[in-house]
Amino acid sequence: MHTKSWHSVGPSLDECIKCNVCTTYCPVAAVTDKFAGPKYSGPQAQRFREIDQVQTPDHSVDYCSGCRVCNEVCPSGVKIAELNARARAHIMAEEGIPLRNKMLGRNETLGKLGSIVPPLANFGLHNPISRIVAEKVMGIAKDAPLPKWSTSGTFGSWMKKTASQRLKSDKKVVYYHGCATMYYEPFIGKAAVAVFEHNGFEVLVPPQNCCGLPLLSNGEFDEAEKYHQNNINKLLVYAQAGLAIVGTSTSCTLTLKEEAPELLDMDGEDSNALKMATWDIFEWLRELHESGDLKTDFVNMQMVLPYHAPCQYRAHRVGKPALELLTIIPGIDARESHARCCGIAGTYGYKKEKYQIAMDVGQELFDFVHEQEGDVTMTACDSETCRWQLEHGTDLPSRHPIEILAAAYGLYDLENRKLASE
Amino acid sequence: MVDLIVIGAGLSGMMAAYTAAKAGLNVRVVAKGLGSIHWSAGTIDVLGYLPEAYEGSVKRPFEAMQSFPDTRPEHPYALMGEESVSQALATFVALSKEIGVPYGGANNPGDNLLLPSPAGAARPTYLAPQAQLAGDLSRTEPMVIVGFKGMRDFFPELIAENLNKLGYKARAAFLDVKLISDQRDRNTVQLAHGLDQKEKRIALASALKKIVQPGERIGLPAILGMSHHLTLLAELEEATNSPVFEIPTLPPSVPGVRLFTALREHIRGMGVRVEAGVEVINSQATTANGSPGKVEWIESETSARPWKQKAPKFLLATGGILGGGFDSNIEGRVWEKIFDLPLTVPQKRTEWFEAGFLSQNGHPVFNGGVTVNKDFQPIDSAGKPLFTNLWATGNVLAQYDPIQERSLEGTAVATGIAAGMALSQ
Amino acid sequence: MHKLETEVLVIGGGATGTGVAWDAALRGFKVILVERRDLTHGTSGRFHGLLHSGGRYAVKDPHGASECIAENQILRHTHTHCIEDTSGFFVVLPEDEGEFPDKFKAGCDAVGIPCAEISVAEALRREPLLNPRTSRVFEVPDGSADGFLTAHATSQAARNAGAQILTYHEVVDLMVAGDEGERNVTGAHVRNVVTGEDTEIHADMVVNAAGAWTGKVAAMAGIEVTIMPSKGTMIAMNHRLVNTVINRCKMPSDGDIIVPSHTVCIIGTTSVNVPEPEPLRIEPWEVRLMMEEGDKMVPGFAQARVLRAWAGVRPLFQDNYDSGKGRDVTRKLALLDHKEREGVAGFLTITGGKWTTFRLMAEATVDNICQQLGTERACTTATTQVPGVEQGHYWVGHRLHDIEEKKLQGDIVCECELVTRTMIENAAKRNPLLTLDDLRRDVRLGKGPCQGGFCTYRAASILHEMDKAGTWQADMSDEAGSTAAWDVAYLQSPAHNLASDASPLSVSPQREEKTLDAFNPNLLLRDFLQERWKGVTPILWGRQLKQERLDELIYMSLMNVDHLPDKELSSPVTDFYNFDTTPNEKEEEVGNG
Repeated sequence: MHTKSWHSVGPSLDECIKCNVCTTYCPVAAVTDKFAGPKYSGPQAQRFREIDQVQTPDHSVDYCSGCRVCNEVCPSGVKIAELNARARAHIMAEEGIPLRNKMLGRNETLGKLGSIVPPLANFGLHNPISRIVAEKVMGIAKDAPLPKWSTSGTFGSWMKKTASQRLKSDKKVVYYHGCATMYYEPFIGKAAVAVFEHNGFEVLVPPQNCCGLPLLSNGEFDEAEKYHQNNINKLLVYAQAGLAIVGTSTSCTLTLKEEAPELLDMDGEDSNALKMATWDIFEWLRELHESGDLKTDFVNMQMVLPYHAPCQYRAHRVGKPALELLTIIPGIDARESHARCCGIAGTYGYKKEKYQIAMDVGQELFDFVHEQEGDVTMTACDSETCRWQLEHGTDLPSRHPIEILAAAYGLYDLENRKLASE
Repeated sequence: MVDLIVIGAGLSGMMAAYTAAKAGLNVRVVAKGLGSIHWSAGTIDVLGYLPEAYEGSVKRPFEAMQSFPDTRPEHPYALMGEESVSQALATFVALSKEIGVPYGGANNPGDNLLLPSPAGAARPTYLAPQAQLAGDLSRTEPMVIVGFKGMRDFFPELIAENLNKLGYKARAAFLDVKLISDQRDRNTVQLAHGLDQKEKRIALASALKKIVQPGERIGLPAILGMSHHLTLLAELEEATNSPVFEIPTLPPSVPGVRLFTALREHIRGMGVRVEAGVEVINSQATTANGSPGKVEWIESETSARPWKQKAPKFLLATGGILGGGFDSNIEGRVWEKIFDLPLTVPQKRTEWFEAGFLSQNGHPVFNGGVTVNKDFQPIDSAGKPLFTNLWATGNVLAQYDPIQERSLEGTAVATGIAAGMALSQ
Repeated sequence: MHKLETEVLVIGGGATGTGVAWDAALRGFKVILVERRDLTHGTSGRFHGLLHSGGRYAVKDPHGASECIAENQILRHTHTHCIEDTSGFFVVLPEDEGEFPDKFKAGCDAVGIPCAEISVAEALRREPLLNPRTSRVFEVPDGSADGFLTAHATSQAARNAGAQILTYHEVVDLMVAGDEGERNVTGAHVRNVVTGEDTEIHADMVVNAAGAWTGKVAAMAGIEVTIMPSKGTMIAMNHRLVNTVINRCKMPSDGDIIVPSHTVCIIGTTSVNVPEPEPLRIEPWEVRLMMEEGDKMVPGFAQARVLRAWAGVRPLFQDNYDSGKGRDVTRKLALLDHKEREGVAGFLTITGGKWTTFRLMAEATVDNICQQLGTERACTTATTQVPGVEQGHYWVGHRLHDIEEKKLQGDIVCECELVTRTMIENAAKRNPLLTLDDLRRDVRLGKGPCQGGFCTYRAASILHEMDKAGTWQADMSDEAGSTAAWDVAYLQSPAHNLASDASPLSVSPQREEKTLDAFNPNLLLRDFLQERWKGVTPILWGRQLKQERLDELIYMSLMNVDHLPDKELSSPVTDFYNFDTTPNEKEEEVGNG
């Protein structure tokens, strides 16, 4: 067990005054008996656990989805979700990590493998028989929204191919794309590049690897440590040069900022330097806007846009910058979903035993989308897994707000998800 | 850009945000978490007890507070004057109706109500949600207090016995919690959500019909639905042909959640952003010799760089010791965490407490707080505002103990509205 | 006046008294034990919870140390479930270096205390919060002991062997016959504290095991037994910062032991001479000292949340010894044969000693009784297991595990300590209990972070419901016939309390005649709230202060408990809640180092 990571969150169990606000708002406890609530599983159960225990006393904590609503509403600052995460990791350490979790944890490897012959990979994964087998053998829910590999090349290959067209400038920014953009949704990266360049920034995409979040979520701390250290090695020079390292995946940027250093107890100078240089893209754009440097030559978008802030924004704790910026684009009637969680919560909703819970949790969000009056053609959310879940639950396409912004600049085709120039 | 940042999403912060938004300001509410509204009875207690007359409760709070400018000049009610307090509460009543959780008071305007507490005592309060009003102990109908076997937060036997000892007629009855819930573990909020479902409401109504006797009114734990609670109340009253009322329970407080949810939704609809999970850890102000300073920004902790938030005006509604706005240590120091405002709390632990927990004088440590002027600006010892653009409301304020005197929500609402008005000018 | 006849009357229901009753009953004596309040009301309910390996005494008191290790090993067998096998570390901090560590090791070896030096790295792996500047660590078989469960299990074993245990029966006088030089204690005059009813108990032998009150009892026979109460203050922290007993490896002093105990860890203690066993005041300097000393062993200790403070008194026997130095008086057990000493037959006092050696003290006592009564009966307590041992050693996760396995989440009443409703109902039916404090000792109600904030109301109401339904009849008379009582061995286990199936105790006649005010739920509620308050005010700041404010909101704003009926009621058994325990505020240490 990674006992050393205790220091960063363990003492926060002392903050709990047993008020039950967390359990009041927990979306998982609301829909299933299998999870007794964040207070019970976090600060309360923690007093009954110890290192070197003969066996772990509780398993119901495994049903915590890590959505962090509890953290957000706790008036005392208990890091409930993190306590639960460590307890889950401890269970894995004691009982071994299921193959399924190991697979779901290796996003980058899966991404690379599938990208060799994406159509074949897509066919192999996305036919009903494969899904049934995957559910029976590995416990991956057959109906859960797994992504498709990109059949038009990876984001990295696009950057290489179009290198000569890229803007050169004194103002530079480092783009951290993450596995999803690289292998499944390169168009997100293209939209981001378009927005950066429109605002006069040269986009650097240096060598980088998976942030390791799926490994962290599934308790494989030693592997995750390697991934994070590699990223530090690759990106530190840019951080030290004062460049912002900006990402479009809220989960990846959160991992670089906090999850990895905290769970892995890596709080040295280098890890901190990377942390302090990492930005979510809308957090970065908001800052640009507040200093008056964001270009606002938008077209009138004329759309009703239900927006769902992903769980990771709760952990970023920077408010909802994407929503704030969407509201300055003329014609966008952005409707904020106050739903607690879409349900997918990273890899949670992909697991057979949790799939239905995830769908029940997300129902609040799906209902919200359906209740919006007006011509709703798509929803928006910053996190890729949320978008896949939203599409699954509402049958409406879902877009990253950066795609909306790129389209507002006239640079992007929202419907077909291509650059206007392609 | 934002005109006002309210720090704290409790009742005083929310009422201040509402007032300022109504006056046209662009308001953002930031809060570390959600607070004491979720623990309370869901009523608006204006003034329940005075230490000098502790055995009996206050009958008419606005009359009782008339003497405050002389007897307790620094009490928030004295700063406002009872006329303004009364108006603020009337504003709250109107708002409550607008947002779908209507509140009302005693039949004789200006009287306190006495309502049954979850232990069977008579709680003095000024305004109660409609769902609790039929519990008014000045009514004569005998009560049947109905609980659920398997529910751990409500005990009809105790409530009925104590009400009887106090001279009110009550008896206890039980239903099985399985009637209204399939879940194994049920807290009050989960039970309330369950009762939003039609088949559960029907089951409850028919079970109650069998229990109630003619001429009785029915007291139930406060779990009668979340989003459909008024509908459910009406359905139950119709089915049983009896008045039905809720009695609040141990936290989490369903009436509190209803009020908070409705308030938050309403002010969001007015354009106010309410962000929880934002812990303000620091502030920066310019100071000027002799003159009040000006708060430039506040900073909240994030997963990486602190988030600096600038605004022309700030309001501190962080709740004192209960809300987490103050901290304290072994040395006896008590401090306000964001602006380090001077506090009137004794700085020696041996002066903090009375020997008895249920002391009628209250404990000195809870009485102290931030001293403000009539506009609810924190002031220095000479009475001058410390900052031109900072206001403070609610449980952070000095010279009263809102729990001991039962004025928690009344002072929150009144000071929130007063400060909201003062800073909007 | 009610009369009872017995062979051995034991006065005092702590570890020693229950141990004597058990030993004597096993040897076939007819035994009655009387205790003025609940079992472990005295020192046995307020000690550190440490099952000594003896390491602490290895250098200064080798004889005491060898007694400890022998009893340590015995109790692990006889009272398995009352003990947590935590192991213990003696840690050497930079300021403790010098000759002592080696002397310590040698001392342990000399008296047979298993003592192994382990690497600091291994110690830090097992205890990550231990001071990283520790230079050496020795491991010894310290354990964590549950004094409440031990007393319960021991008394249940005594009852199973025919003894009668009468709690809430206070000795108001000893019956002494004969003239000067040939006097004879023939029994005691006891009073039921709640009903006020008196009983004469005639006994061949009266054993004074009244702990800190030993002197007062002896005085009733005109005998002077000088007990020097030495107060020790202890502080419980909100969670187990350590899972092993941590001792400073140096000459014993204040605040140098941290014991993990159930869900908390306890730091202690001090040593301050006090005039009386009650009331005990906890001084600010003691609290500060504990926090500082704790911080040396576990950096960050002083910032952790403090849950509760309490004090107990060591009943140190002064046998014409007058130096005023508490700690240096030997902790040796003292068996006073008053026939030999003062010519008063039929009366024995057993005092001194430490919790770990209670069984040995009882053995010495009952050996003497045998001798005086002229029979030869061998002691069997060293090899006889008390009820409940099959549960194995205590494990901190066991309640959570039980609840998860049996899906008892919906039954939880005290959420902090995972006490279920069925546990409470069974405790009420199986063990004579009167107050919520008794329930606290039985099942740990109210011992967690919220210090009774939520569960006080629930428990008082549950007992009230049971009272109305006639299923709870607290019966302190314990006359033969109440058969289902005292099955206390499993009270602490949720998995053993799935069904509230114990038949209630027999109805006490007094209970039927009048409603004893002591059972009034409003009184129970108010009293327990006050009892909890008493224990937190010395350590109330920071988070615990915030917690208390929430508890105030619940009980005042929401429940209006201070305006419940029956305000005029008070209970004779809870008078001590209202003792004035305001600290004297002495700035310097009064005790010795």
